[in-house]
Amino acid sequence: MSDQGFYVGVDAGSSATKCAVIDWHGNLVGCSAVPSGFDYAVASERCLEEALGEAVITWDAVEGSISTGYGREHVKFAGRYLTEITCHARGARQWNPDIRTIVDIGGQDTKVIRINDHGQLVDYRMNAKCAAGTGTFLESIALKLGMSLTALDSLAMESTAKTTINSYCTVFASTEVLERIKAGDPAPDIAMGLFRSIASRTFEMMTSPGQGRVAGTGGVVAYCRSMVRALGELLQDEVIIPPAPQFAGAYGAALEAKERGCGIRAREGAESC
Amino acid sequence: MPTMKRVEIKAHQHLKEMLRLYFDDLEAASHDAGRRVAWCTSVGPCEILAAFGFAVFFPENHGAMLGAKKMAAELIPYAVGAGYSAETCSYMNCDIGSALTGRSPLTDVYGMAGPPTPDLLVYNTNQCREVQDWFGWFSRKHDAPSLGIMPPRCLGAVTKDHIAFVKHELELLIQKIESQFGVTMDHSKLEESVALSSRASTLWREVLDTAQHQPAAISFWDGLIQMSPVILMRGSQTAIDYYELLLAEMQQRVADGVGAVPGERWRLYWDGMPVWPRIRDLSEKFQELRTVIAASTYCNSWAFEPYEGGDPLEWMARTSLEIFINRDEEYKQQFLTEMIQQFSIDGAIFHNARTCPNNTNSRFGMVERLRQSLDIPVLVIDGDLSDARFFSTAQTMTNVEAFIEQLEERRR
Repeated sequence: MSDQGFYVGVDAGSSATKCAVIDWHGNLVGCSAVPSGFDYAVASERCLEEALGEAVITWDAVEGSISTGYGREHVKFAGRYLTEITCHARGARQWNPDIRTIVDIGGQDTKVIRINDHGQLVDYRMNAKCAAGTGTFLESIALKLGMSLTALDSLAMESTAKTTINSYCTVFASTEVLERIKAGDPAPDIAMGLFRSIASRTFEMMTSPGQGRVAGTGGVVAYCRSMVRALGELLQDEVIIPPAPQFAGAYGAALEAKERGCGIRAREGAESC
Repeated sequence: MPTMKRVEIKAHQHLKEMLRLYFDDLEAASHDAGRRVAWCTSVGPCEILAAFGFAVFFPENHGAMLGAKKMAAELIPYAVGAGYSAETCSYMNCDIGSALTGRSPLTDVYGMAGPPTPDLLVYNTNQCREVQDWFGWFSRKHDAPSLGIMPPRCLGAVTKDHIAFVKHELELLIQKIESQFGVTMDHSKLEESVALSSRASTLWREVLDTAQHQPAAISFWDGLIQMSPVILMRGSQTAIDYYELLLAEMQQRVADGVGAVPGERWRLYWDGMPVWPRIRDLSEKFQELRTVIAASTYCNSWAFEPYEGGDPLEWMARTSLEIFINRDEEYKQQFLTEMIQQFSIDGAIFHNARTCPNNTNSRFGMVERLRQSLDIPVLVIDGDLSDARFFSTAQTMTNVEAFIEQLEERRR
């Protein structure tokens, strides 16, 4: 490990691929997110290039790299890969040492990760494999309502009622939305109900709510204030949102690369860790 | 990550031949007017059937084969169309779908026309009630009697009264078979069959126990294949001969320090059913992670307490009642605790099988209780025994990798 090198973390997620560059002090100096598309290898290369550009460094200055996310095995330049569970926990903990639970709501799945006072992974849970409780649930219903996810979020923030959408299944939830529209419920309340539905699914996955602070990471939390609001209502506590919630996994991967002394797969003489 | 080559089990060649002979005999029996075929549940009273001289077929084995051959998605819709819920036993639904379509791996693998037509079906609801409904469908299809025993379930202590009750059920079963087919059971043959069953079962337990050694000589994935004789050939000398051979090989592995997983780093426990359609994917993933599944509830389901003479029906009644799946939560927790300690387990995986609630133990707080009492990580994966539509490979692999990362972090 050099005392002047840079480290790269790549989170190849189901919807977006994110890249984070950190300096030898662990400071986030560059990041980028691109759609994952059909090819994680291509997305990760493009993302890397943009993040290096933001950090104003070249690839030669990078000492090590770790990939994470569903496409982690396809990131060709990474020295090794780790799961997003380890990486999100590491990233969030670096930003706020008081965090004990990380709620990561992504496009493909939702994870609840618990860490102890030493920052060690204690427990984690992922949603069952259907879309309910994930970003895809929201995107799917927003699409059906003919609006973007950010528009749905803005609408929900106008709500003052305690409306909830109860159905677990994405298809049934859509039907429930239609029933509420027919019943004349205000649109903001219906929209907020959708976010509460996800918060409720997430809350079920918490083995010990109330023990330590909760942080939210992932794209949904990054772009939807209503999601943070719904989680806060259930937890009866303010949810910590790190400076770059969508990049928590990539940031954590970069930190792990630095701490583990991971090399770069494509570089001659470098060793994987 | 580079993966080291797995050590093959030499005895397995004998097993393949034994299985071929077993299925050849079933096929022959189904075409022989002088012989009768009985279907039996996997922990059913097969010793009684052997004493009557039936050739015994185990439909759960067929269900597992259909799952392992990834045929569930094409067959289950036929069972659902016939009125059976897609959320109930996928073994049953696969088997019904197989009968409705005439598609079976028994044809490709063993050259059979399909499962042998039953003259009799005998179930034991000590494992679940679904077997009764499963056999009911085939009973109606083949116009063959479906008989069974229904032991009291979810037991803590097994009492003399429980044993007497089930023994009486077994006696009634014998009477019904005698009356139905106009034959008399040879009691000396029953005693012989029980003695052979018990010996095979004891040897099977000894084989599994070689995984207590580090590195473990045999893994769960090997066990899923190697357990065939204790299910299909229980009550025969063939099973005993095979397990003596296998045990010697495993003991030699222990002596030589050879493990089922080269470079073993982690030792896990598996509770619940296997995910038959993803056995290869999962075993390769664990091997890549240098992790051995050293013990499991499932493979131990056929490790009965030994028969030491006396009334064979009493032994059958007792083993029927004492099996893990038929016990209460307290017993199960104690059993799991002892297994985890005896096999030096680092962490446990519970398979939440969507269509098999009776063989899933993560639904009534067991996971949290074990986490707290043993201070080990416990992972729950969602899936199914045969229906891969309830299983997400990517999500499960992430879960498994994260689990190993969690173990590494604890050791760091």
